[in-house]
Amino acid sequence: MERRNFLKKATAATAGAMVLPYLLPTGLLFAATGSQLAEHVVMVMFAGGVRQQESVLQTYLGQSQGIPIEGNIMYNMLNGAAPSQKIVYGTDGALQGDTPIPQILAQTLQQQGTLFREVRSSHAGHYGGMNALVQGNTLFAQGLRQKPINPTIFEYVRKHMNAPASKVWFVGNGIGNSTPLMNYSNHPNYGAEFGANFLAPNITFGAQGIAHLSNAKTYHPEEQLAPIYEMKYFLDNNFENVAGTLEGVHNTEEEKQDIKAFLKAMYQAGGNIALPPVFDNGDLSTVGYACEVMKWFKPTLTVINVGAVDTCHSNYSAYLAALHRADHAVGHIWNTIQTQIPSMAGNTIMLVSPECGRNLTSNPIKDTNDWLGFDHSDTNTERVFTQMVGPNVQSNLEVGSEGNQIGETADNVPTIAEILGIKNDVLSSGLLSSTARSLFDRI
Amino acid sequence: MRYRFFLLVLVFGLFIASCEKEPIYEVNEVELLPSNASKTKLKTDQQYVSILYANLFQTALSSGNLFEVSQCIQSVGDKVLVREVIISNYMNRPTVQLPTDAEMRDSLNAFITNTYNRFLVRNPSEAERQYFKNYISTHPNVTPEMVYFSFALSDEYLFY
Repeated sequence: MERRNFLKKATAATAGAMVLPYLLPTGLLFAATGSQLAEHVVMVMFAGGVRQQESVLQTYLGQSQGIPIEGNIMYNMLNGAAPSQKIVYGTDGALQGDTPIPQILAQTLQQQGTLFREVRSSHAGHYGGMNALVQGNTLFAQGLRQKPINPTIFEYVRKHMNAPASKVWFVGNGIGNSTPLMNYSNHPNYGAEFGANFLAPNITFGAQGIAHLSNAKTYHPEEQLAPIYEMKYFLDNNFENVAGTLEGVHNTEEEKQDIKAFLKAMYQAGGNIALPPVFDNGDLSTVGYACEVMKWFKPTLTVINVGAVDTCHSNYSAYLAALHRADHAVGHIWNTIQTQIPSMAGNTIMLVSPECGRNLTSNPIKDTNDWLGFDHSDTNTERVFTQMVGPNVQSNLEVGSEGNQIGETADNVPTIAEILGIKNDVLSSGLLSSTARSLFDRI
Repeated sequence: MRYRFFLLVLVFGLFIASCEKEPIYEVNEVELLPSNASKTKLKTDQQYVSILYANLFQTALSSGNLFEVSQCIQSVGDKVLVREVIISNYMNRPTVQLPTDAEMRDSLNAFITNTYNRFLVRNPSEAERQYFKNYISTHPNVTPEMVYFSFALSDEYLFY
């Protein structure tokens, strides 16, 4: 009898010992089971509507203004020689914009990774395009100023990898274009509980943030903050909230203190941060702060949105300058990861994709050089590219070509899922576009 | 005989007519809720900030500053966190209107009532009053600033 009891208890104890370590706070029995290609992913939403002609096709003024001058103004990302005449995209020298920004990377991203030359963007608008990049879906019911309808990659990562909020970041170029809404969806199976931390550095650390956020008092965690929270929780328990639950990204108290410390450090730095060598527009300062976020938090997933290129609606010269700077920004991100963040160096895959392209034909708006602007509404808007670089990404590979579109912007979600080892979880949600596939499967 | 018959019919008729059903008076079922349950509308970022500012400084926030603070709230994903940062910024300003620690402890009842009135626009229940009286009395390090902070962070303060 004693022997039987002993065997029964021993079996139960062994089973418990095997199962309990895998019980996660989210209630999942196991963390993601797929093998990871890298521990960190950075996705750059590039950069406010980029014409294929001035990016991958490198036609400069040739297929926009009817001036036969071609060349590559994105020489951190793409192979190819820069234009030799009518340089307007650089920093100011003798003439406005006549000094191209020096290349940051010794090897272009095209040499280091894989370039999908012709990728389809299903949306002609920024918000729809960005939503395709983060939702892996091309829902046309998605409205402006509305939370994403389907889960975002942030929620997939947090839910299926059991990642804390401080390990998933969305760094936006501002608070316009519904950008701040994209850090989580209103999908009932995902939502705010799995949302990403969002930051719009040009506001948070801009004049507004300095005026209203930078002088925060530091409270002692045990002697001051603990009683404050204790009284707050008493008040909350007494509040009969009949209006519904309060929704929002949830950081633990420890994470909140860490983020507050980060904010304080950034204010104390007074702009002396990991900025790119040239930082004369909003995208470049956004990227500088995004690099600081990566240095501080070492996120599993960082999505960075840059968008100054959209000035192309009314100023083609400024568009070229912004596109040149967006390339500079991407080069800086990759260089910072490899040289200043040891835990992410060699362990990060970066994806770069425009959310949408721009029109083939110009609008009638001329800039100071008499060059015409371009909107984004015709079929040329569907033409974009995607770049991937990092461990387990084939170097010096081109996929697709003009007339042979391979890939779509919604592919980025299953691609990130594959990199982080949660592809099956994400695909089995059934919430991606039926045509979205991991880019690794397209090669 | 006929007279008797008519009398019987009359009595019977009066009896029937007098059998009116008595009305039954009942009380409608009402769900009893605390006094803060009527707050069902979530404040917008602008409403939150302008009311917070008025509560802490006893003066109105300018429209320019209101716009800027609202932008700051939008620029950070964790709204609880950014509200904490805003409150702690305000607490760091010399013009914030706070009672002294002595004023609070000398007249706890009045302090608690005033704090509830100021932040939650209602009187405290007896249980609430008792909690804060006990809490403040037994925690000598708790300051009016910390009490105000907790009220400004509370869920109820987000609604009106």
